[in-house]
Amino acid sequence: MLEMHNISKVYRTDMIETHALREFSLQVAAGEFVAVSGPSGSGKTTFLNVAGLLETFDGGTYRLDGQDVSGLSDNARARIRNEKIGFVFQSFNLIADLDIFDNVDVPLRYRRMKADERKARITNSLELVGLTSRMRHLPSQLSGGQQQRAAIARAIAGDPALILADEPTGNLDSLMARQIMGLLEKINSMGTTVVLVTHDPELARRAQRNIHVIDGLVADTVAPSDPAARGPHGQTHAESAVD
Amino acid sequence: MALTSHPLLSALRRNPTGAVLIALQIGITLAILVNAAAIVTRAIQKMSRPSGVDTRDTFVMTMVGLSKNFNVYSTSSADLAYLRHLPGVAAASIVFGTPLTDNGSDTSVGRSPGSRGPTVTSALLPVDQQGLRTLDVALIAGRNFRGSEIRVPSAAHPDPRIGEVIVTQALAHALFAHQSALGQTIYVGSHTPSTIIGITRNFMGPQLGQHAYDTVLAPEIVTQYDMYDLLVRTRPGQRAAVFRAAKRHIGTADPNAVIGQAVTFAHAKRLLYSGLRDLAIFLSFLTLVMLALCCLGIFGLGTFNVATRTRQIGIRRALGARRRDIVALFLAENALVVAIGAIFGCLLALAIGQWLTDHDGVARLDPWYLLVGVAILALTSQLAAWQPARRAARIPPSVATRTI
Repeated sequence: MLEMHNISKVYRTDMIETHALREFSLQVAAGEFVAVSGPSGSGKTTFLNVAGLLETFDGGTYRLDGQDVSGLSDNARARIRNEKIGFVFQSFNLIADLDIFDNVDVPLRYRRMKADERKARITNSLELVGLTSRMRHLPSQLSGGQQQRAAIARAIAGDPALILADEPTGNLDSLMARQIMGLLEKINSMGTTVVLVTHDPELARRAQRNIHVIDGLVADTVAPSDPAARGPHGQTHAESAVD
Repeated sequence: MALTSHPLLSALRRNPTGAVLIALQIGITLAILVNAAAIVTRAIQKMSRPSGVDTRDTFVMTMVGLSKNFNVYSTSSADLAYLRHLPGVAAASIVFGTPLTDNGSDTSVGRSPGSRGPTVTSALLPVDQQGLRTLDVALIAGRNFRGSEIRVPSAAHPDPRIGEVIVTQALAHALFAHQSALGQTIYVGSHTPSTIIGITRNFMGPQLGQHAYDTVLAPEIVTQYDMYDLLVRTRPGQRAAVFRAAKRHIGTADPNAVIGQAVTFAHAKRLLYSGLRDLAIFLSFLTLVMLALCCLGIFGLGTFNVATRTRQIGIRRALGARRRDIVALFLAENALVVAIGAIFGCLLALAIGQWLTDHDGVARLDPWYLLVGVAILALTSQLAAWQPARRAARIPPSVATRTI
């Protein structure tokens, strides 16, 4: 599903060059649930931006769902984002002016779907996250958990192959966080690949695989089910790094 | 471009103040633009009308008596004799009221005596037998006045009768439509019948109004007042020299009279239209300023929207919006505001147009002005929104993942 080889990303100003990703390599198979964790400034968000085609990269190769996405035009990248990737953001990123139905509708409109099909997809995805009764509410009229569920509905409405979730529980309390994780696991169980960027070790532990990033490099890859990968206190290497 | 009105309306409903103010500005601008355009067009049409007289080589001098010793007839005869022998003069005549000078009298002309039957308001231009030649106005039917037909009524011996008249083609048509007017009897401001002996091609009388081409020429030298007009047409290129010589001689020939006004037809025409020209320039300038302010308002609102919706734009880009989708979104939002403003503006324009019709008697506002006005406003407003929309489209999708 996602194949990155020696990806590099450098942010430049007049004075400073910051190497956000250095020879970053990662493979995620279709249907996997992978967590990417690391301390603040380690390159997690840069990885998500590059993986989600929100930013270009400076070196290396990246294949998404079998397609080489290096050097694509802005329009082509927008089309791939729209068709193959669903985003879940930490701060929900719902459009405040639109109600939940119209928010979920946004990516579908950009895909130029017919109204009937859009409506069916919106209804199905809102049903999956349990927000059918709130579809005409504005984001400000919902709780944080409900807003994130609406954002997940928006992410899955287009039936993407990959969900990229950026700290999806960062703004939620623990109960809501567990609900959201449950939802992402449910979506993953339906065959959608999920890549979760988080600094929360508990969430990372729930993934099938945890990629630990430090200084723009993949420092470690841990499968939480592998006892050999546990640290002295029973946590994974990645958790040790996060802690 | 993946747009429908419902989400656009939702966005406008959430932040209506700026949009409502801009819509109001658009509406007011449209109303003023449309009515100003109609007024300016009418003014230009009026100013573009052919005068029908030789404006390049003709001038008029108004002589005014100063004392009881002033004899209109003898002084005017002497002046006329001088002018007709002056080198460079093509023709000279004594008239009372001249074309383009806003100086003359009008009368009602009808086919029946008194107020019976329809009448036409017409300029009355007393001329001698050289009047037509001096005006450089050709007859298209009939004949000119003979010397014997020129009457010289005085204050002591007033004579309201006008036996023969010459009329312009426009007046002939107004009175007799498609019948031949030649030889017909008309009543010029009185119960006394006059016979049409000639019809001239159209030329403008002293007045600017809707009857500018309706003129009746009477064979008369007006001596009832202590003033007369000397109308002079020179040979091509001789006007300045003749004008100077005439002013010098006539201004000093009779100590009992002075030149009240000496003006070329070209200058008279400029003066006559100066009010209209100033009005047209002022309204055009005002309209352009309002249009520019409107564009600035739209540009400002667009820039404000881009600044306050940066994150939203980034989210849309992350969700698959292409740059052109973002441009289309902003232009569509702008078009919606313009449409609301245009509806209000059309109603306001019609109301103003109706008010002008009721109070100033101007023609009813042609709907074409509305259509063209809306098109101009739509185009300019979209151009004003274009730059902020382009700026919005340059916002990167990675803005969506920024937490600050």
